[in-house]
Amino acid sequence: MDICFALVCGSSVLIEGGRHGFGDMNSAVGLMLVGAVLFGIGVVGFLCRRNLIIMFLCTEVMFQGVLLNLIGAGRLWNNLHGQVFGLFVLVIAAVEAGLGLAIVVMLFRRRGTLDAERWATMRG
Amino acid sequence: MDLKTLAIIVVAAPLLGAIGVGAIGLRGLRSRSHWLVLAGVLVALISAWQIHSRVHDLTQLKYQVDEQGRAREDTPKVQEFADQGIKYRVDTQSLSFPIYQWIDGGGKFSIFNVDFRIDPLTCVMLLTVLSVSFLVVVYSVGYMRDHHGHAEHGYERFFAFLGLFVFSMCLLVLAGNFLVLYVGWELVGLSSYLLIGFYYQKPEAAAAAKKAFIVNRIGDFGFGLAIFLIFNTFGTLDYDRVFQHVIAGTTLGGGVLEPGRVTIIALLLFCGAMGKSAQLPLHVWLPDAMEGPTPVSALIHAATMVTAGVYMVARCGVIFASSATAMTVVACIGGVTAIFAASIALTQFDMKRILAFSTLSQLGYMFLGLGVGAFDSAIFHLFTHAYFKALLFLGAGSVMHAMHGVIDIRRFGGLRRAMPITANTFLIGGLALAGCPLLAGFWSKDEIVHAALASNMPWLGWMALVTALMTAFYTFRMIFLAFYGRERLPAGVEHAHENGKWMTVPLMALTIGAVFAGYVGVTMKSSGFLGFLEPHGGFHHFLASVVDPAKARLHAVHAEAHGGHWLMWLSGGLFLIGMLTARYIYLRHPAIAHAAAVASGPVHKLLYNKYYVDELFDLAIVRPLRKLGALCVGIDQYFINGILWIISAIPRAVGFGLRGLQSGGMQSYATGMVVGVIAIVLWVLIKA
Repeated sequence: MDICFALVCGSSVLIEGGRHGFGDMNSAVGLMLVGAVLFGIGVVGFLCRRNLIIMFLCTEVMFQGVLLNLIGAGRLWNNLHGQVFGLFVLVIAAVEAGLGLAIVVMLFRRRGTLDAERWATMRG
Repeated sequence: MDLKTLAIIVVAAPLLGAIGVGAIGLRGLRSRSHWLVLAGVLVALISAWQIHSRVHDLTQLKYQVDEQGRAREDTPKVQEFADQGIKYRVDTQSLSFPIYQWIDGGGKFSIFNVDFRIDPLTCVMLLTVLSVSFLVVVYSVGYMRDHHGHAEHGYERFFAFLGLFVFSMCLLVLAGNFLVLYVGWELVGLSSYLLIGFYYQKPEAAAAAKKAFIVNRIGDFGFGLAIFLIFNTFGTLDYDRVFQHVIAGTTLGGGVLEPGRVTIIALLLFCGAMGKSAQLPLHVWLPDAMEGPTPVSALIHAATMVTAGVYMVARCGVIFASSATAMTVVACIGGVTAIFAASIALTQFDMKRILAFSTLSQLGYMFLGLGVGAFDSAIFHLFTHAYFKALLFLGAGSVMHAMHGVIDIRRFGGLRRAMPITANTFLIGGLALAGCPLLAGFWSKDEIVHAALASNMPWLGWMALVTALMTAFYTFRMIFLAFYGRERLPAGVEHAHENGKWMTVPLMALTIGAVFAGYVGVTMKSSGFLGFLEPHGGFHHFLASVVDPAKARLHAVHAEAHGGHWLMWLSGGLFLIGMLTARYIYLRHPAIAHAAAVASGPVHKLLYNKYYVDELFDLAIVRPLRKLGALCVGIDQYFINGILWIISAIPRAVGFGLRGLQSGGMQSYATGMVVGVIAIVLWVLIKA
């Protein structure tokens, strides 16, 4: 399903790129398009999968998509802000990944499973 | 030591004793905890004696008299006391001084001072209260133990409460304004409550304590209103200034004092006295108060606290004497209570209850005396009554202790040989109560009867004489049943025996009071009763400066203090008739008593059930109040709770609708977030 979605996204990127014309293609637009695709894949993965680690990885994919968007925006405005900011986001993402994985490990130890549905105890 | 220090010691010593017992009497030293209170009361008693002798010296001084016959206020003594910060008034022989300022009125007013006032009346009360208290504390050391000499459960608590009571009572009588009086008044009520409920595990004791407190509150409500009205009218609560206003007939700011207002103040004050001194409508708590330990009954519910009402009315004699209505009410309620309670006592079998009704009856006498203007005679009766009634109660306690808690005179008898000291002291106390000539009760009671007969309501005097006859009868009925005749013991008591020294010595000491206390109010004269005794002696001269201002306000013509010897012969005869009838019926022909009870049928039942006053109150007040309470509960549960339910239903309904969204699943939340983000993005795009 992820792959189907990636294909859909990729084709939409191509269609979009074709509409803008690849000839005078600004590499910023490409970067941003790829970032959007990554973000979309992350969202769909996050919503569809129930394995905690996969869900976590999907959030990472979303992160990278946003990161590419930042770099692309830097390109667009012709300055380094986007890339510098991207570096910071990268570091924070690394830290967050450590924390998130630790949480996932703790959750796994509690229930002996990675199924997110098993944590649906806060039902109203 | 100066007078101020002595007065503070009188109040502080029992309190410190009580606090000490409460603080250290908990472990190890429990069974010795009486020493602190004993020492505290003894110190207070010695200080009170010191105060008394100084005041006595003052009353003996001859003062220069001005042209209106009043003592001049510029004697050197006044200056001498002023140097110590004490205000000395020569005409009332009162010494007043502030202990500390409670609420500072910025120098504008000093109504909330803790003032003490020492005058002859205070001295009499202090000595009565403290001497009886001391003997009762000594007695309690023996009484509050089992037969092996082990201290009872709550021993230290008992002595702490007793100390608290003595402190409160001293505060009450030393008070120099109505506010401090009220504080002492409520504190004695509190200690009474605590001590009636001393055996709080017993449901009857807990109920009796509650009843005493609630009935007292009803009286105190009136008392509180009286104090508000006094402050409203005179702008001060200080005794001296209030009485001056009443005498001058002025209010705060110099207005004229309407007589109706004085009547209302007096009646409201009397309402408080009725509660505390258990007069007719509010008497129901006193017989039930006998659930407390016997020393408490002797001290609080016979000798001292219940006389606080008498003291208060005598203290406010000026206010009462200014209103003929109030005086009539006081006299009538007193006289009716006297005969009412005495008639109930004729049929009771519980020794302590008989004594409780007898206390009611004697308090009725005191109020009768107050109501006909014989303030000093009422206080004199208070003084003698304290000794012989405490003696009788302690004697009853001694019997009860030996009989393992049985107090019903049908279940034991003939204890004279087994308990000689108790029996003989009890007999002397009984003689004094019954009005045997030459004993304490005789002198004081006759003065009151004499004053009543000479007043404008002589029928009250005749009623008091009938009461005296009844008193002699029921007292000797109790004595003959309990101590004379064949020896009978309740089941479980193998042999009766006399109690230890702690208990018998106070009995003997009180016997001295019961015999001789009357003689402080008697003068020797060649023409008097039995040829040499005449009522109205040193006691009355000592009190004269306190009661004279009140007596001067009474318009009724008063019989001269002396004379009336025929009355003494008459009441002596009534005593003999009562005693001999009781002897004839209960020792010689016990069948008569039963036959009389059967023959008088409903009357006996009425008396035995105490005129059904408790049942009447239950029907007329308690049950309607309970119903009202149930109604309130119903309104609360159905009406108010219903409204609240409706109000609270709104958030509940909203919650019910939104509950489905809270699935707890992570994906659904994430979906919501994504949808929300998409919606926002679309919104921004469309707007742009």
